[in-house]
Amino acid sequence: MIVAHKLTKRFGGLTAVDDVSFEVGTGQIVGFIGPNGAGKTTTMRLLTGFMPASSGHVSVAGHDVFESPMLARKQIGYLPETPPLYVDLSIGQYLRFIAEIRGVERSQRTRRIGQVMEAVGLSGWERRLVGSLSKGYRQRVGLAQAIIHNPSVLILDEPTSGLDPKQLVGIRTFIQNLAEDRTVILSTHILPEVEALCERAIVIDNGRILADDSLDGLRDRVGDGVRYRLQIRAHKNVAPAVGASDAVSRVDDMGAEEGVQYLQVHASSDPRHAIAKLAQDNGWAVHAMERHAPTLEEAFLHLVGDER
Amino acid sequence: MTAVWAIFKKELRVTFVSPLAWVFLAAFLFLAGLFFYLGIASTGTASLTIMISNLSIALLFLLPMLTMRHFAEEARSGTLELMMTAPVPLWSLIVGKWAASVALCLMLLVGTLLFPAILAYYGDPDWGVITASYLGLALCCMAYLAAGVFSSSLTEEPVAGGLLGVLVLLPFWIAGTAAEMVESAPIRSVLRELALQTHVASFSKGVVDTADLAWFVLLTFGFLFLTWRSVESRRWR
Repeated sequence: MIVAHKLTKRFGGLTAVDDVSFEVGTGQIVGFIGPNGAGKTTTMRLLTGFMPASSGHVSVAGHDVFESPMLARKQIGYLPETPPLYVDLSIGQYLRFIAEIRGVERSQRTRRIGQVMEAVGLSGWERRLVGSLSKGYRQRVGLAQAIIHNPSVLILDEPTSGLDPKQLVGIRTFIQNLAEDRTVILSTHILPEVEALCERAIVIDNGRILADDSLDGLRDRVGDGVRYRLQIRAHKNVAPAVGASDAVSRVDDMGAEEGVQYLQVHASSDPRHAIAKLAQDNGWAVHAMERHAPTLEEAFLHLVGDER
Repeated sequence: MTAVWAIFKKELRVTFVSPLAWVFLAAFLFLAGLFFYLGIASTGTASLTIMISNLSIALLFLLPMLTMRHFAEEARSGTLELMMTAPVPLWSLIVGKWAASVALCLMLLVGTLLFPAILAYYGDPDWGVITASYLGLALCCMAYLAAGVFSSSLTEEPVAGGLLGVLVLLPFWIAGTAAEMVESAPIRSVLRELALQTHVASFSKGVVDTADLAWFVLLTFGFLFLTWRSVESRRWR
């Protein structure tokens, strides 16, 4: 649905986006993550055609954003970093204006406005002045304007900034539902958001793509990979016996406390079944066996840290 | 066209909910009344010539205040990003904004129709001259507003946009004054052609000349075209 090919954007001597290529298909939610100033917003602006790229091109639903901008733009719903609101209009007037310029059929407008207001939790707020809304509600109006024309591609630049935890859950579920038959690109620096919503993430820093992978794939890039943490109560040291098991590739002894031994186990596949059997045979009491995957945060810091 | 109409309606709505339009309306009608009175008091004739020529100068300073928000505000609040990623050609955004300001000015001019009505009650004014004068004033408004829209596209600061509008228009007025002071005949005639006063004057004498019409139309389209260039160039920054 979205194809970015060798996108580069220079501002004077500064290269904000550097040779960025990726593709996102229908039904995917892709997280675009990177530190502040990494080039996320500029990339979003290149994708929506707000700015022309210095070189490279973007196509949305088969339409080149700069060759046939009107066709491409019809397919795009865009929520910029700051929700683009006219503070002097009421929510209803604002959404009607957006529906008109986005080309929603006259006969459909009232129905669509009702639908999107309900979807973002603004039902009954038609007459409220946009300027009087709090940040979270402004964000919702911003989301409402992005989806009013039922676009096939959604580009959301930090969509949940300023939302409270309860609104957050609602909006995330909402974005997830939207993605069923759409393409969603979500730019953010909030990693739990990516974990909650995306299967795939593109990590960008200094304008360059550092990684474009599934979340699991990204986590696997962290040196140690998946670890298993064990807590076992036994009379003698269990580490050698665990280490001897075929299922285990390495054991770190993490010490003991009140007779409970703490171990960290590395293994190519889940060794817990084998260890449980070992415990049973030797009469150990297993207090805990936890799979501990590297978090996205670790993976992110690993990638971004490498670069700097 | 749907987009132009949508933008037109939105702009008028935004203008009327802000106090700006109402303050402007009051200031304009006050000035018009003053010029009308002074015109009658000084000449003693049932004519609007003085009022029209004074208004054409006063509007040069007033109208850029009406258009100063247009692009400056949109750039500052981030709504320009919305408009420039919407499936709407840029010209329709410019024309919609300009047309909304023109509509507001035409409403103001309709408000001043009270003055010719007073003339008609007490005297016998020349309706041909009055119609031509109003046409001239309306054309003046269109050109000023186009210049105002253009200058608001040059900055993100509305007040700066307004002042720039005045600065952009002033040379056309100064050209008229300068023409009277210049010795050389060819330069004088060029300055006269450039001058606002020359073209307004023929309308207020009741003469509708295609050359004057063309001058205003050219000025209007020229500024709207420059606006288009200026907003388009934002993309590249």
